[in-house]
Amino acid sequence: MTDETKWLTEQIDRLAQQPEFTNRAFWLALARVVAEQDRRTEQLGGEVDGRTWSPDRW
Amino acid sequence: MTTLVLVSHPELADSSTQQFLKASLPKSAIIWEHIESQSTIDIEKEQRQLRQADRIILQFPLYWYSAPAGLKQWEDTVLTRNFVYGDHRYPLAGKSLGLVVSTGMPAAAFQRGGAEGFSLDDLLTPFAALAQRARMTWLPTLAIPQFSYLEEPEKLKLVTDYQRYLTQDYPDSLANRQAWFADQLASRIAQLPADQQVTGRMIADQFDQRRTAISDLQGTLAMIKEQEDD
Repeated sequence: MTDETKWLTEQIDRLAQQPEFTNRAFWLALARVVAEQDRRTEQLGGEVDGRTWSPDRW
Repeated sequence: MTTLVLVSHPELADSSTQQFLKASLPKSAIIWEHIESQSTIDIEKEQRQLRQADRIILQFPLYWYSAPAGLKQWEDTVLTRNFVYGDHRYPLAGKSLGLVVSTGMPAAAFQRGGAEGFSLDDLLTPFAALAQRARMTWLPTLAIPQFSYLEEPEKLKLVTDYQRYLTQDYPDSLANRQAWFADQLASRIAQLPADQQVTGRMIADQFDQRRTAISDLQGTLAMIKEQEDD
């Protein structure tokens, strides 16, 4: 998890302390999408690196 | 997008699942109707609602591997041949049709070799056939197995999964999920206490930047792949 994601998740967790159940659910679900963004960014970055540095292309 | 939610349950007030789903409904653009609470089915009104909606959700508990009798009666009354396809106008074409089905058995029961031996897709095939006949887009079914056993975190997750099922663009890709959350953020931030709204806006900005970054990476990757094909 990047520092930026950690910070963002902490902020979202703080907002997830809402009295209304459906609002609490929203912020918690947003935190899950943020985690998914993190994974996707890492995978896409890895794939870009991998394809850019393919030994076949040296 | 307007979503029509048709609920079929013979004793709605006694159903904790249905009460939970009702309390979880998105705040706008939803038409909600309980089929069994109408003494007579007003065909014209029902057909008008179907025409107006972009997404149609049939929501019910699984009774003997199908919907409760009330929904079948509604189908047989409202979905006349002429309305669905008989006059070659297909008024439901292009709309999406989805099922929200609660079950008393666990999810794993509904598969070959499972306790029930058939998947929900197998059992609910007639609804998929209806969608095909009406030229509608079939949404993957949202199953809610054993609601009463859900713990609080699972119930919280269900709230948003249900809201997204009703209103998010199909298919359920990361791009569409991000778009749904981005779209929701403004109104959710407005509901926060005043001292938290600044944090809410910062979160929204960051979320948007990350969404753009992913889109940029996908663009770069597509370009690399295109060159590899040359």
